[in-house]
Amino acid sequence: MTSIERDTGAPRPITRIRIEPRVNRKPIWTFSMYLAATLFGLVLSALLLWTSGADVIKAFSALLNGGFGSQKALVATLAKATPLILTGLATVVAFRAQVWSIGQEGQVYAGAMGAYTGYLMLAGLPPALYIAGIILCGMIGGAVLGALAAILKDRFDVNEIISTVMMNYLIVFLLSYLIGGGPWTEVSTSVVYQQTAPISEAAQLPALFGSSKLHLGFGFAIVAALVCYVVLDKTPLGYEIRAMGYNPVALAYRGTNIGRTIVLVMILSGAIAGLAGVSEIFGTAHRLRSDTLFNLGYTGIIIGMIGGLRPLGTVVAGVIFGGLSSGALYMKLLAQVPAALVPAMEGILMLTFLCAGVAARYKIVRVQTDG
Amino acid sequence: MGELFQQTILISILAGMVRIATPILFAAIGELVTQRAGIWNMGVEGTMLMGAFTAYFVATATGSIWLAVVMAMVAGALVGLIIAFMTVTMRVDHFITGLAVNLLIAGLTLYWFRMYIKGRAQPTFDGFENVPIPVLSSIPIVGEILFDQRLLTYVAFAAVPAVWYLLYRTRWGLELRCLGENPKALDIKGLSVAVRQYAAVLFGSVMTGLGGGFLMLGFSDRFLADITAGRGWLAIVALIAGNWMPKGVLAAVLVFALLESVATHVQVLGIDVPHQIFLALPYLASILLLMGLRRQSRQPQRLGIPYFR
Amino acid sequence: MSPILRTVNLTKRFPGVIANEDVNFDLVAGEIHCLFGENGAGKSTLSSCLFGFYQPEGGGLELRGEPVKFRSPRDAIHAGIGMVHQHFVLVPDFTVLENIVVGTHENGWKLNLDEARGRVEDLCREYDIDLDPNATVRNLAVGQQQWVEILKALYLGAEILILDEPSAVLTPEESIRLFRIINHMKELGLSIVLISHKMVEVMQSDRVTVLRKGKVVDTVRPGEVTPKELTRMMVGRDVELRVIRDRSAEGAAAPETVLVVDNVSYRDNRENLALDQISLTIGKGEILGLAGVSGNGQKELFEILSGILIPESGNVTLADERIEGLPSRQYMDRGVGLVPDDRFREGLIPEFDIQENMILGWQRHDDYTQGPFLNQKQIGTIAEGLIDEFQIKTPSATTPVNHLSGGNAQKVILAREFVHSNKLLLANQPTRGLDLGVIEYVYKQIIAKRDEGFAVLLASEELEDLLNLSDRIAVISGGRITGVVDPENTSIEEIGLLMAGERKEAAE
Repeated sequence: MTSIERDTGAPRPITRIRIEPRVNRKPIWTFSMYLAATLFGLVLSALLLWTSGADVIKAFSALLNGGFGSQKALVATLAKATPLILTGLATVVAFRAQVWSIGQEGQVYAGAMGAYTGYLMLAGLPPALYIAGIILCGMIGGAVLGALAAILKDRFDVNEIISTVMMNYLIVFLLSYLIGGGPWTEVSTSVVYQQTAPISEAAQLPALFGSSKLHLGFGFAIVAALVCYVVLDKTPLGYEIRAMGYNPVALAYRGTNIGRTIVLVMILSGAIAGLAGVSEIFGTAHRLRSDTLFNLGYTGIIIGMIGGLRPLGTVVAGVIFGGLSSGALYMKLLAQVPAALVPAMEGILMLTFLCAGVAARYKIVRVQTDG
Repeated sequence: MGELFQQTILISILAGMVRIATPILFAAIGELVTQRAGIWNMGVEGTMLMGAFTAYFVATATGSIWLAVVMAMVAGALVGLIIAFMTVTMRVDHFITGLAVNLLIAGLTLYWFRMYIKGRAQPTFDGFENVPIPVLSSIPIVGEILFDQRLLTYVAFAAVPAVWYLLYRTRWGLELRCLGENPKALDIKGLSVAVRQYAAVLFGSVMTGLGGGFLMLGFSDRFLADITAGRGWLAIVALIAGNWMPKGVLAAVLVFALLESVATHVQVLGIDVPHQIFLALPYLASILLLMGLRRQSRQPQRLGIPYFR
Repeated sequence: MSPILRTVNLTKRFPGVIANEDVNFDLVAGEIHCLFGENGAGKSTLSSCLFGFYQPEGGGLELRGEPVKFRSPRDAIHAGIGMVHQHFVLVPDFTVLENIVVGTHENGWKLNLDEARGRVEDLCREYDIDLDPNATVRNLAVGQQQWVEILKALYLGAEILILDEPSAVLTPEESIRLFRIINHMKELGLSIVLISHKMVEVMQSDRVTVLRKGKVVDTVRPGEVTPKELTRMMVGRDVELRVIRDRSAEGAAAPETVLVVDNVSYRDNRENLALDQISLTIGKGEILGLAGVSGNGQKELFEILSGILIPESGNVTLADERIEGLPSRQYMDRGVGLVPDDRFREGLIPEFDIQENMILGWQRHDDYTQGPFLNQKQIGTIAEGLIDEFQIKTPSATTPVNHLSGGNAQKVILAREFVHSNKLLLANQPTRGLDLGVIEYVYKQIIAKRDEGFAVLLASEELEDLLNLSDRIAVISGGRITGVVDPENTSIEEIGLLMAGERKEAAE
């Protein structure tokens, strides 16, 4: 005899939703899923604007015009895109290996701080060497922070998401000390502004095309994208990174040292993110301060994800979101909509893209199980 | 005189610890239930921020802080619904889902906040007052530390044994723990894994939203863009450090809270070191804690692994 | 007699495959009815439909003559159907009692284990099962875990019991005991569906339904057909595995020793002694069979011999060189090939295509690189050659391996490991889950390697196969080698005793 609680009522027909993997994936289907995700994301963003009482049309057109409406706007867009492309690439390298580092934020700071250290210590070198040295120091700064997370993961089994988040906070406190009362604080003013003194002209990244905004950093971003593409797709290291992302067990079974690969991935990822910090401080802000670096790393995660974790896709996503960031200032002026709309839109689009990724891989089946 | 001063400061630090522990404890205990059900919810930070902003918005717009608390929980539930949909129904990677939710909410709350205060001074509200428990609060020292606190602080600490009871003494708790260890064992008995995981995520998110709400209403009178400042992450660390057991989680939360409480007393203590060092302590401690733990034996076996039939 | 449960033209599809097509199967009350078929013939899918775990797309079920629809296992359980799954569905950290009680929905919201304990103890007495309800499942032997699974079904009041490959993880001894209890259940009035691919078990049942490629071939009584006829029904043609049997004369003489394992012990991360002073030797051109129920240390032994794990103590010597503690890379460079037992997890990158998988582990080798880059053209050419040589059925060399059948995926691993090794071949359950045709092929390839002079360590759960192929058979139980026997002078019974842990006096 059973004493099981029984269903009450007669069996009723129910339609259930089940997810099944797609057997044959057609590129056109994948593409249309992402297109739908983009549109849906834009609709949600419009809804967000509308519900908060803003003029949707005015805001969107200001955003687009400000970002892409003129040659000047485009140049500003590329300048904004530069650090985003770099942090996006840093994300691509780590996430392709399924190393869920979100330390890009901290590595940007570390890169900027490394470069600033180089700026102070290498002063007096010939100009080209000086700038090269500063850039190298920046990349090392980011790489060291990345390697630290990798070692914590490999040696101490510390989840990389958590360790990188914690280090993101720690590095900001360190910078806050250094420029807010510590040795790097600007001394000429009577009030402490939480910033260093301006960076000398000899150490600034040279401008591109005679623009006041676009600088050598953009060149680095493009080169970095190409390097990432070649490394990931064409070299044994890239093979190992991709294999580790899919199945680290089999990779380790066949002789690849996973710990070493994780460290390499994080060094590479950290160095690229560090470059974003260098580029922002030595190319755009021309002094080290916290707020210019804020959120570049977190935005990079979104850029990399929306770029499909592919280097070239990341460049495209970086330019688009660079345009939105750049246009946000115009939107603020013309439509009185806070620039914070852009990070909100980025978050929305990331979610819809994640769903599109699932929809491209799986199909949703309705199953009539009774009646 | 010096002795009395020291005692006063010690009591102040410990009472501060209990208060500071409150929001993290809500989140950690909620996340404990979520993770025991197998969902690695990385969106705690964002959920907490959502709770905090909602509480701020409701408190300043209506003036009712209890309505603000309720709405913070509702906001938490809505975020939980998104997380559950992504992880349970869509089976997106749990880590990625959490990251996306955190980034989304950081953006959304900042936008709403700027929109809300556009063109005016930031409105403020009157937060929670202490509710001393009669008799108990008059016990010297202990009473001041434990029984002269905000009402929700008592709730948070009471939630620890309550969740313990839920997990280990009820049928639901047994099913919940089973989900984290081997969801198929429920599935083959014809019980819906998805429904239970949704419930666990929702419970966790409501608790986290409540934690965010308390963070807003119990400590301050105005909203800041990054008001949670990593407390959601600390809740996750407390869970790992506490080995997914209610008692351990409580202990880990108290460690973080103590460090933070010490940091807020640094100026009173007159220690002459950069205050950033003290601010950094909880974050540093969390890395060191995790380093010292290495392999975990009590981590649910199927934690963070989407369930497919 | 009218059937208690039957299927009428039942059809079940999965994306891309038809698992069951127009299956008509009936279970008579009080019988043991065997579902017999190869891997992938649709046995498990059919039983999952009977249990409501899957819902058929076509046809339906009849219970005691009435059409029924099971929307979930819950409906099946209500109807008195219980299932014991091939891969146990237990929570290792729960007690036996908790595993039985979880999800049974009784006694309100509070957990009342005491009452449940009484009922479980009654069931144990009734069916003569010896099990402590308070024991943690993790600490139980695999055979005992099977009792937990059976108790789970009985506790829910099962009158029809579906057992999916119940003896796959048991020693011969334990299997005999299991069948005693199954027969006892039958006497007590239970109806039993037994899924198996083992001839001994099939011959003990009342009726057999043979499935092939998702369809019913026939339902027969074991007394009325010979095992050979049954095999032909299952496979669709004659299969003669025994043909393989031939040992190399060279191997039988005085083989030159390739691998020496000396007193190797290993502790897992739960501090259990997974390997306890293992000593073995394998000679050139020799196949050493490794018999044992899986989970008795085979995996750890293979991982140590391929450099994935480092032993706690003891030596491993390959061609007169001590190699224990070296990384797996070094083992590969010294000519050790590995065919792991979990092929998609340990042997392949499922999302990678065939040619990428062909170089897994060798991606930095000069043959496959050109300067700092991978030499895609060269890799492609080599992969094409191997696909031909190993008869891998695939549209192209750039097809992801997760699109391949288990047999073809296994051939990718064989091809890779055979090409890149030259001394020692480690094959852990290389035929698990494969069709007989592919099994035959795999064994032939292994024999060819032996004839080339490889030392081969071959672990298998199929004792018959080991007896046919091995030059010597080592038996492992509880992390110890309980004996090394000569296949010419041993019996399944002797090996069975050794598998159960009875030590053989050193007689080598």
